[in-house]
Amino acid sequence: MKKLLAVTACPTGIAHTYMAAESLQKSAAEKNVPIKVETRGAMGVENELSPQEIAEAHAIIIAADTDVLEERFAGKPVIKVPVAHGIKRPGELIDQALAKQPSAPSAAPAGRAKTEEKETGSGNSIYKNLMNGVSNMLPLVVAGGLIIALSFIFGLKPAEGTFGFQLLTIGKAAMGLMVPILAGFISFSIAGKLGLAPGLVGGMLSTQIGGGFLGGIIAGFLAGYVAKGLIKYLKLPKIMEGLKPVLLIPLLSVLIVGLLMIYVIGDPLKWLMDGLTSWLLTMGSANAIILGAVLGAMMAIDMGGPFNKTAYTFATGLLASSLFGPMAAVMAAGMTPPLGIWLATVLAPKKFTKEEREAGKVASVLGLSFITEGAIPFGAADPLRMIPAFMIGSGVAGALSMAFGVGLHAPHGGIFVLAIPNAIDNILWYVLAIAVGTIVTALCVNLFKRNKAVA
Amino acid sequence: MNIHDLLNKDSIFLPLESGSREEIIRKMAAGLQASGAVTDLEQYVQAVLAREQQSSTGIGFGVAIPHGKSAGVAKASLSFARLSAPADWESLDDEPVSMVFMIAVPEENVGNEHLKILVALSRKLIHEEFRQQLLNAKSVDEVIEIVKSI
Repeated sequence: MKKLLAVTACPTGIAHTYMAAESLQKSAAEKNVPIKVETRGAMGVENELSPQEIAEAHAIIIAADTDVLEERFAGKPVIKVPVAHGIKRPGELIDQALAKQPSAPSAAPAGRAKTEEKETGSGNSIYKNLMNGVSNMLPLVVAGGLIIALSFIFGLKPAEGTFGFQLLTIGKAAMGLMVPILAGFISFSIAGKLGLAPGLVGGMLSTQIGGGFLGGIIAGFLAGYVAKGLIKYLKLPKIMEGLKPVLLIPLLSVLIVGLLMIYVIGDPLKWLMDGLTSWLLTMGSANAIILGAVLGAMMAIDMGGPFNKTAYTFATGLLASSLFGPMAAVMAAGMTPPLGIWLATVLAPKKFTKEEREAGKVASVLGLSFITEGAIPFGAADPLRMIPAFMIGSGVAGALSMAFGVGLHAPHGGIFVLAIPNAIDNILWYVLAIAVGTIVTALCVNLFKRNKAVA
Repeated sequence: MNIHDLLNKDSIFLPLESGSREEIIRKMAAGLQASGAVTDLEQYVQAVLAREQQSSTGIGFGVAIPHGKSAGVAKASLSFARLSAPADWESLDDEPVSMVFMIAVPEENVGNEHLKILVALSRKLIHEEFRQQLLNAKSVDEVIEIVKSI
């Protein structure tokens, strides 16, 4: 028996989505063809197709005027039409779908082939969810980073109320939204509209508990699956069903994600940061070069998360005790990830998409301004390959900075500090340390990164 | 909530004199006002027209489902009209409309009741026999009986 699947969706998500679904179901029933129809409308995603069902289906009909996560159906015969055709011509669509040849040859090892397909399928969808977050976050990183860099022109410590200070405020506002948007849109990609709220809140909490962008990624996936689970498994008496999408799912999903972020993710993060700080203190008197390498790697591992924050706080703390070496190491290491990304896109443009190459140019400015976040879109898109590359380059930069005896007297500023007299000891060596770190980062990025064509 | 609970005899029109989209909406809104469901006619009509502005609620098959959520509505309710002559509604299928279901929902209505009503109606309207029954209904009571089947 050939089984069919269908997905219906329309921009407003009220009438047409459901009419097309009903129309297809009615026509299929008349033809005695089993069909399951997923509706993606104002009530969220209902009757969602499982990977198992997709694997077993003969063909899939998409009657939609909006995105329906088509990647799920890779390798299956798909008929794609506007939602109106689903309403008006269900019979034709079903006949066409039945006439399709199954694209995968159903030989003996079909069982194994199917499970493999499913695995890559879920891998792709994790990547897709991640990229949905990253691409929505990118404009905030670009705008926020550049505006902060711009504010440095007006001085590194602008007085409250000055134009420079206002620029800094705007830039920080954009940067502050970065992780919530990352988490929010990862979650949105998983669970639809109802995923947005818990994702945004989870991302915000990640920032507040010092989880940085890695915490944001965790929050996004957590929120997405919590919302999706609630949509699917929360069963209510019919009379209360209406409360589900407007009251219960938002309330429960935000509450669950919030509590998990604070108690399950937040507390261990605090212990981690406390532990790291005391560890760094015991290391302080040991080997300066190793300390530089460790601080450098910590700056790059999570770019704004617990490791980065601990390293930065540790170094700024030492400024008060007139120890300027660690601060220099930390800033050098914070500059190399975005600078390295830029250099990598210049050295091997073919490994990057056009969008990534453009983002690389922006990253160079952010790197020069010690805005490590410039590398986050690259790190978040492919953490397992990119973060080790960043860590190695930053570790080298930090170690060299310490080895050369560079000292930095200001806690931030990037290249703008170079212009301030006496802010840096051994300034030329410092430039060298940053340059070497950048080159190492770029080489590692290009070595680790998969070719576009292969991916 | 059952759909037929929302229907009031005052707001069922068999037939309603045809006219422009706005004229039809206004006449049906007046019926909802007569039944006590709508308290501020103008406010409610503006909400319905604003929704039509976004995109037509003419869903094809000669049916339109205009709807509005407004503080001018006291309780969720439904109005049905069979038009004396087909009217232009800029529908999905460019066909004129001969039947209209209009929905009124109070502003402070918690939940998506009106969405559920619209969804149930949309699904039902796909079925030829349901539309045919409505077109052939001879009395207001008969319309209520038919709508009960949802």
